[in-house]
Amino acid sequence: MSARKNLSIEALLKKRRILITCGTGGVGKTTLSAAVAMRAAMMGKKTVVVTIDPAKRLSTSLGLDSLGDHPTDITPLLKKAGQKVGKEVPGTLEAIIPDTRQTLERFFVGLTTHPTLAQRLVNNPLFQIFAKEFSGTNEYMAMQKLLTLVESGKYDCIILDTPPSRNTLDFLGAPKLLSQFFDAQLIHWLITPSNRIVAAGMKKAISMLERLTGAGFMGHLLDFVGALFEVREAFTSNMKRIIDLMESEQVGFVMVTGPNPDSAAELGHFRQTLREHRFRFDGLLVNRTLQHLEPPTSGTEGTEMTAGIEILRALQAREKLAIEKLSQTLGAERDELLTAPELVRDVHSVEDLAYVAMALEAHA
Amino acid sequence: MGTRLACETLAQTLKRPIIFVSGKGGVGKTAVSQAIALSHSRRKKTLWIGFEDPLRPAGETQKISRSLFHMNCVADLAFEEYVGMKIKIPGLTRLFTQNKLIQFLAKAGPGIHELVLLGKLWHERHNYDQIVADMPSTGYGLAMFQSIENWSTMFRGGPLFKDAEGMLATFADPATTGQLIVSLPEEMPLQESLELDQFLSRIFPENRASFVVNRRFPAGDTCDTSPEKAPENPDTWPSPVTSSMLEYARKRYQLEKFNLRIWNDAAIQFGELPFVAPITSGRPEASANALVGILAEHLQQRGYV
Repeated sequence: MSARKNLSIEALLKKRRILITCGTGGVGKTTLSAAVAMRAAMMGKKTVVVTIDPAKRLSTSLGLDSLGDHPTDITPLLKKAGQKVGKEVPGTLEAIIPDTRQTLERFFVGLTTHPTLAQRLVNNPLFQIFAKEFSGTNEYMAMQKLLTLVESGKYDCIILDTPPSRNTLDFLGAPKLLSQFFDAQLIHWLITPSNRIVAAGMKKAISMLERLTGAGFMGHLLDFVGALFEVREAFTSNMKRIIDLMESEQVGFVMVTGPNPDSAAELGHFRQTLREHRFRFDGLLVNRTLQHLEPPTSGTEGTEMTAGIEILRALQAREKLAIEKLSQTLGAERDELLTAPELVRDVHSVEDLAYVAMALEAHA
Repeated sequence: MGTRLACETLAQTLKRPIIFVSGKGGVGKTAVSQAIALSHSRRKKTLWIGFEDPLRPAGETQKISRSLFHMNCVADLAFEEYVGMKIKIPGLTRLFTQNKLIQFLAKAGPGIHELVLLGKLWHERHNYDQIVADMPSTGYGLAMFQSIENWSTMFRGGPLFKDAEGMLATFADPATTGQLIVSLPEEMPLQESLELDQFLSRIFPENRASFVVNRRFPAGDTCDTSPEKAPENPDTWPSPVTSSMLEYARKRYQLEKFNLRIWNDAAIQFGELPFVAPITSGRPEASANALVGILAEHLQQRGYV
């Protein structure tokens, strides 16, 4: 029997320069991303965490009230919190909450050397909807931000918290979703149809679509697509740089989930999709576990909380099942499962975050 | 258990033929919406509708019981169906929706997908007495309502515009449509639901949402449950960690009470659903259904449905 190495968060951070955390909404991805970043700073790394949607009071207590491109240095706060949990902080930690809307505008402006073209694109009413609502935009902008940070060369550890999503896979699908907009052949047909048969067919389809949508929409859409066509080469080469980065050995993906047996299927999908993209799976973080809670010892103790205790016991039972199922799904990589315990209050101070950071450990 | 006024407000909302169940990810929208649908299906032909669930068959309507149906609404299929309804010639519809360029434009036109998803639900109101929608979590759910508003204001003329206007009118009408916001007694979802409410009230000012807090942890006999007494602030506790189940249970109740001040301060009337202990024995679907059954009983006992 070979000796099983237990994954520790430190081993993970030693292995990778960049970690991307994925997971569905409500599992505590943002908190855990910040906690992992703290551990990196405690290891002496120059760390930055890109966080998308932190709890208001947490961001306030981190001094992160403004969105923007400039990182906020939270090292002093972290050093103070480190004292409280008895841990030195030789590294640094900065945090950024990017303004995705601004990043997107800048991104498109950066793709072209013609300022008027960029303006035309950004002022199109469809761009406004696209920026706000198109699933994929936020994800792609998060990757873009990551690329910029990597290229700045300022950090030896980058933690990217992905935007809240319906589905753990949304983040991975974003480049493909967006690249549909740059399907050169289709746009080419649309804007400059080369032969008459194609042109006639297109004209017919478009006039039909126009009848459905009303005239204003088609005008804006053609303008929008036309402007995208102009920047397609710059976009495609940018996308290639992002994908090269994500495929490189520097980047690992971590899935965050709750202690729920249903997440085993999600984990299976996630790893499958990572393999298809040639991305690296680095581990699973199970958040808010209750396994560490000791039941009341004597028969009389805690009788007034019977209903609550019963629920907690049932939750522990479900958690045990969840960990079993998740370990099974991980198979040979079952050591790559880390847990973070549930706290008795919401995390909104750097100290509480430090507690979470210290409690991140391999599942025994 | 919520006040009488809260109960009445909630019962009013849940009486309407179309109910949207919204909230942050992970608050239990699926179970709560299914429990509402289950309760209604005792008397009415009910459709419980969800959107773009990758784990369920796309676009399919499943019969759950004699009067309860589930549909997993998917944008691509809804778009095809919608075009079919407008063009009315099957061959031409196929030619149109299978045209690569049209597929591209339908995707490139931001908001079209969201619009047809709600359009499908809107259309189904003719086929069922009751519709209960399990909305995608906050951001995506909002995008759906936002898209019908965009279409009704930005692109005038054309059937899409007319349908968007029709949808807005239906969803804004308090006689027809109810908005239910579900939350957990945790800080982030409670806070986010206030933002959700603000957004919805901007689009539907005459049709305000009702609120329910799900998974309320039970109070112990010695816990002070009186609403008058201000709850302890958990931030004053020396440590966020405990290894005692008993201490956790006591503090959890306090924490929830403290968190709910977010809604109380905003003068929100809300109903409450208890924490139903998970059932781990048996097949997963059977446990999920048992949970929904228990939730439905609570909804009825408390007079919400």
